[in-house]
Amino acid sequence: MSTNTTPAERLRDAGLYAPGDAVLSVRDLNVRFNSENGVVHAVRGVDFDLMPGKTLGIVGESGSGKSVTSMAVMGLLPETADISGSVRFKGKELLGLSDKAMCKHRGNDIAMVFQDPLSSLTPVYTVGNQIIEALTVHNPTMSKQAKEARAVDLLRMVGIPSPKDRLKAFPHEFSGGMRQRVMIAIAIANDPRVLIADEPTTALDVTIQAQVLEVLHTAQEETGAAVVMITHDLGVVAGMADDIMVMYAGKPVETGTVEDIYYNPRMPYTLGLLGAVPRVDTATKQSLVPIEGTPPNLALPVTGCSFAARCPLVSDACLHGEPELIAVPGVEGQTLGHRAACIKSNELSNDADAHKIFHAPPKPVSKFDGVARVEREKVLELKDVKKHFPLLKGALIKRRIGTVKAVDGLSFDIREGECVSIVGESGCGKTTTLLEIMEFHPDQVGEVVIGGVSNKVATDHKTTMTMRKEMQMVFQDPTGALDPRFTVYEVLAEPLENLGMPKAAIKKRIMELMKLVGLQPDHVNRFPNQFSGGQRQRIGIARALAVNPKLVVLDEPVSALDVSVQAGVINLLDKLRAELGLSYLMVAHDLSVVRHISDRVAVMYLGKIVETGDVDDVFDNPRHPYTRALLSAIPVPDPNLERTRERIILQGDLPSPLDAPKGCNFATRCPVFAALPAAKQEKCLTLEPPLASEKDGAQDFACFFPDGEIDADMLVVHA
Amino acid sequence: MLKYLMKRSGIYLIMIFLTTSAGYFLAVSSLKPAVLEQEKIPRPTPEQVNASFRGLGLDPEKNAWERYVEWLGGIITRWDWGRSPNGAFVNAEFADRVMVSTRLFIASIILTLVIGVALGVYSAARQYKFQDRVITSYSYLVHILPAPIAYFLVQLGAISINEAVGERIFFVTGISTPGIEPGWPAFVDLVAHYAVPTFAMTIFGWAGYQIAQRQYLLDNVNADFVRTARAKGLTRNQAIRKHALRVSFIPVAQSIAFTIPAIFTGGFFAEAIFAWPGIGLWSIQAISLQDVNVATATLAYGSVIFAIGAILADFATTLVDPRVRVQ
Repeated sequence: MSTNTTPAERLRDAGLYAPGDAVLSVRDLNVRFNSENGVVHAVRGVDFDLMPGKTLGIVGESGSGKSVTSMAVMGLLPETADISGSVRFKGKELLGLSDKAMCKHRGNDIAMVFQDPLSSLTPVYTVGNQIIEALTVHNPTMSKQAKEARAVDLLRMVGIPSPKDRLKAFPHEFSGGMRQRVMIAIAIANDPRVLIADEPTTALDVTIQAQVLEVLHTAQEETGAAVVMITHDLGVVAGMADDIMVMYAGKPVETGTVEDIYYNPRMPYTLGLLGAVPRVDTATKQSLVPIEGTPPNLALPVTGCSFAARCPLVSDACLHGEPELIAVPGVEGQTLGHRAACIKSNELSNDADAHKIFHAPPKPVSKFDGVARVEREKVLELKDVKKHFPLLKGALIKRRIGTVKAVDGLSFDIREGECVSIVGESGCGKTTTLLEIMEFHPDQVGEVVIGGVSNKVATDHKTTMTMRKEMQMVFQDPTGALDPRFTVYEVLAEPLENLGMPKAAIKKRIMELMKLVGLQPDHVNRFPNQFSGGQRQRIGIARALAVNPKLVVLDEPVSALDVSVQAGVINLLDKLRAELGLSYLMVAHDLSVVRHISDRVAVMYLGKIVETGDVDDVFDNPRHPYTRALLSAIPVPDPNLERTRERIILQGDLPSPLDAPKGCNFATRCPVFAALPAAKQEKCLTLEPPLASEKDGAQDFACFFPDGEIDADMLVVHA
Repeated sequence: MLKYLMKRSGIYLIMIFLTTSAGYFLAVSSLKPAVLEQEKIPRPTPEQVNASFRGLGLDPEKNAWERYVEWLGGIITRWDWGRSPNGAFVNAEFADRVMVSTRLFIASIILTLVIGVALGVYSAARQYKFQDRVITSYSYLVHILPAPIAYFLVQLGAISINEAVGERIFFVTGISTPGIEPGWPAFVDLVAHYAVPTFAMTIFGWAGYQIAQRQYLLDNVNADFVRTARAKGLTRNQAIRKHALRVSFIPVAQSIAFTIPAIFTGGFFAEAIFAWPGIGLWSIQAISLQDVNVATATLAYGSVIFAIGAILADFATTLVDPRVRVQ
């Protein structure tokens, strides 16, 4: 393709030269929205061809236009959106069709799975009703029995147990992962040729994500549909996609096969994205690649390369004229071809090092790094901490019908300068553990010792205040955790005023803090909404550090941030730990982040630690079957590895803590237990395995049969 | 479900008892019928007044507690809600008053509801278009227009129609013409009396429902599950009708049940202006006539209607929202 064609010419070419066998051809798709700040050009010239049975991954940060593209294909954008270009399904133009005409294709030829399974199903209709509705719309003559039978088949196909009974259940009776399965069942009900999945697993736990990706895979095999997979997670698409399109600021900036993109990126943005993702499978202690800055405002006309403001390789030429998406020399002849929108793509060779290009900071060294763990002081110690919630029933007089053991006998410690992470699925008791530590009350069950002060002696306000000074917290949602009516100055001054610091000293300290977390000190009079998400999290970190704590509790500190921004915050946390000698207690569900930042890790399941030890020991040689399953569920941003890797797919969800089994908590879902002979199973069901280390073993784990053989049904390899 | 409703009814019964008792104490300590007796000519002596009230069970010399026990005893043993200072039995008038109010309001309640919700849906589906702007502006206008003025305007309109036709088609006040023959003429007479108040209360009444239904539906038309429905192949309107509407109706169903009692007991403007002497008017009159027993009886009626409304609200919510269904 030549570089100087007009959109009209490209559109004409598309009609003539689009591969005849493509199920979906998109050419020069443009979407504009009217907003209060003028016309936002959200999608600017997207082209792609989707071949039958193939998977296209669309990758990009939030606001890059990937969701808008998919909604435009589906014809689901609001009427006020101005859409131009061409979307052809098997050669038939879809753009410009009326809502009614488009309905013949939606759900029948092209179906979609959305991001948030909790809100995507109508709460007042049964699941069966909603599946059958999808069948009725396109098959009005189908009999009631046939539709019901098909709905049961679909539910079985997506792995919902006892599908016949579940037809009558309402969405709120399903967990998030189960609801996403239902969504997939609805999407594939009419055997669509194209299935668009918009961040289908972003809202789910890793183990559930693995299950749902597996279901999507099955669905694709069963229906032979082509899949468009939209995600910000380079790991998720690595194993699934055939082709990748990287989007930035509404435009594809690099397209190619999955190998092209992962092993030979030719656009600095792609390179940065790949370097920004921490890896769960390697122990290399290297800083992540931060991509500083924010995407451009699409309400303003783009004059140069849209990535120029954040690109470390930027030169004057980049600012004049937006680069076209052109073929990367040396790779020709494929459907998408490897194309990149960068005038310097030739300079980026195969061995381009993202760390060097993006000036990733060196891995910081802490003064504690050389000191053996046992010689360091304990900053936090938990001894047999328990939190049981009574489960009550009855309107006026409450009766106790059971106990939820949210945290059930937790003991661990954190030494100076180290980061301990607690990992596990939602509902395993991670957050309750943090709350128990923050509670710090003599009446708690078990002992919490913070900086040498035990909760058992915390009977007066002064002792509690001493503890608060030792320990501070950073929250998950940076937007919700900052008072929108406080300026940054007020946010940071509050904890200092509480300590009775004089005004002049507060001012000085705030300036220090702003510099420390990498914000401009003259921005202190701004309000939180004037900052980006990553900057807000930096404010949250500055607030936690204001009183000079020894221990910082991080509750999912980066899960609300985009990958590129996340890298910057993780690097900052790393740097602060080394420079200030901080200790961290982190709760995170992203095991890659955990591996990157932590020294030690504790894996929790149903209120108990099932495995704990140094992060490299646990991650490289997991002993407990649950840890093995968790680790195998994490997608790795490496297509070759991802395709050949064995995956343990756990069945079902985390059981309710109410019906926790008598013996080993994990037995109900355990892949090793399932493969054991009945005689050995007995032991798991009756005895509770203690948390202990093996002789010469590096880590503690609670399992009778470590490294046991995994049940074949729960093992999956995609060759 | 039945058990749940029974339990709720039990709780409401206790609440009705408590509010009515509290109302009685308030009435008995603030309403002094003897004051009005003093205005009679010839002026009766206090002894005469007390004697006559004693005969009616309104002895002003007894303290509040003694009178409460006597009054409550009458209700429990004989279902006797006492007498007015003029000697009339509360029970005798009560049923008539309730019937008048119910007849006056029932049609307009139903019409208001149906029209209000329908217009809410219609305007929400056409947000910011011409139709929506007209309907919603009308609703806001009506909301700020005081009810008496609105009713007078309708009466004036009806009178001018009568004048234009030169024949009395509509009656703007009253319940029925005295001495009308039964059968068809009585029916025509009923409609002629009924039309004006019903019309007035309906066209000025639906505004609240329209605004609420429009708002709740708009909150839901862009919901994720509506998008899912459209992705299945439903048109936008089908998806809204089938998925958003039912969800958005949940809060409206609740509010409907709670506005019914307000209309039944608080409709004294309409009753006064259209001269339908119902329960609302009665309760106002009771206060000006220092009538303890009638004031308490109307209060009790109000709480019963409120409880029925609340149970209806529960029932309606359970009906449209499976999430609150009790196992």
